[in-house]
Amino acid sequence: MQKLLVCYKWVLDEQDIKIAGDLSLDTGRAKYKISDYDKNAIEEGALLAEKHGVSVEALTFGTASVKQSLKDALSRGLDKVYWIGDAASEQADAFVTANVLTAAIKKLGQYDLILCGEGSSDSYNQQTAPRLAALLGIPAITFVQKLTMADGQVVATRKLGDCIEEITVVGPAVISVLPEINKPRIPGLKQVMAASKKPSEEVKISDLGIAAEELSPKVRSLALKGYVMDRKKVIFKEANQADNVAKLVASLAQEGLC
Amino acid sequence: MPGIWIYSEDSVVVRQLLTAGQELKKTMQQPVNIITLNAEDVQSLAATGADKVFLLKGNNPWPESYAGAIADLLDKEQASVMLVGATIRGKDIAAKVAANLKAGLVTDALSVQYANDAIETTRLMYGGLAVHAEAAALPALVTIPPRTFIEAPDIGGQSEITTVEVANEDSRVTISNVCPIVREGADIATANRVVCVGRGLAKQEDMKIVEQLAAAAEAEIGCTRGISEDYHWLPNERYIGISGQKVKPELYIGMGISGQVQHIVGIRDSKIIVAIDSNEKAPIFEAVDYGIVGDLYEVVPLLTAALQKK
Repeated sequence: MQKLLVCYKWVLDEQDIKIAGDLSLDTGRAKYKISDYDKNAIEEGALLAEKHGVSVEALTFGTASVKQSLKDALSRGLDKVYWIGDAASEQADAFVTANVLTAAIKKLGQYDLILCGEGSSDSYNQQTAPRLAALLGIPAITFVQKLTMADGQVVATRKLGDCIEEITVVGPAVISVLPEINKPRIPGLKQVMAASKKPSEEVKISDLGIAAEELSPKVRSLALKGYVMDRKKVIFKEANQADNVAKLVASLAQEGLC
Repeated sequence: MPGIWIYSEDSVVVRQLLTAGQELKKTMQQPVNIITLNAEDVQSLAATGADKVFLLKGNNPWPESYAGAIADLLDKEQASVMLVGATIRGKDIAAKVAANLKAGLVTDALSVQYANDAIETTRLMYGGLAVHAEAAALPALVTIPPRTFIEAPDIGGQSEITTVEVANEDSRVTISNVCPIVREGADIATANRVVCVGRGLAKQEDMKIVEQLAAAAEAEIGCTRGISEDYHWLPNERYIGISGQKVKPELYIGMGISGQVQHIVGIRDSKIIVAIDSNEKAPIFEAVDYGIVGDLYEVVPLLTAALQKK
């Protein structure tokens, strides 16, 4: 094992998104973040790299704004980040994303292990890892909760219900990790300062030789509407909790529930 | 011959997807075919009214190893649509098949229909904050969560059964064992009442507070993701949220739950939502019918006692 790669996505923080009166989404105040489960993938890459003395790099595909992610990513134990900032990412579906990432990976060289999060926090398609593997012709192990590496092979543990599957893969593989796999480090000042000295490199889609139809999404957006619930929102605020409970139970009785 | 294809490693889910498939058949005027790996289910699947049943047989027992074979079959048959059960295994295999076929794939679709020469779907986005309507060009794949559709009733008759021998060995991959089919969360997904606990609960020993309320309310116990998947205080099938169970009880009582959208998605079909949390600014209070701001260690035992009296 010599080189690890983590793929991450720079996404709008869904906690900042508001639903407007007409049910459209207001992203005006939304900041970007590294997708939550991708932080677990980066952490896993960093831990493996630190443990085994190998290099770990990252690759990200997004709009021009993706350049803002570099400092955060590089402060999390990565050696280098390759970034693709292109308008094509705005309409990209999982088909396009996988085509772009695969072309970039083939150009960047041989990676022994490619790590992804289970799914992104914005669209949560959960397709990137298995698509990459299929396009690269290597195995994918998805929804992995534990990963170990030794002598040119990885052992990935998955939990399906109460049962565990342990899968050993010889040679390169793509792994998608569950958030349970680790707790991402919170970069300290030292790591953040060191990040600005670490290398990053832009990769242009036009240099990747991707056919036009591979950049054309198969799934297109028709409408995006906020989901709003119409609830009573009755909050009991008596000083005495026993009174609040009594009022709650009375309300539930009125609802025919007790 | 183009068709609407259905696959799941779980034959119960196949029957659910068949309901969606039969609807598509009406508008697309194409046959509905089933792909299965389970030899023991072939005869009963052939009585469902599907046009054809294909049994894939390979030496490798790992369901994930059939992606190539499924892609080959769909390609050969010029499939228009494939519906796959959105289990862990289903999502894995559907994405690999889609990549092989250079096709689009919609994950965890809530609805699926044929219109304007495409498969139109709806699904959640941004953790459940929004509903995204999309159109997938043909050939299209869609993964659909278990229990989205009810099982199609058997129409009887006998579908044509074809067995396809496949070479699915992969010397690069060794599996320790194949886990049996998991039908997660049947108790909680169909529960009439649910009591749900979140990270506001300080330690595992305190679960008895939750259990007592659940007993008094005659409710099943659920939890947010951290409680099962990080702390392991409850099994994963008790986790309610965007990547866990969805519940539709007449009464949901949540305690120590902040109410992030990823959890709310799992409870929003509840008839009445009640929450108890110490943080009056917690988002859960935007999602409740009734709420009490307070320490759950004080409020919940009071509620339990009050319900026991009724």
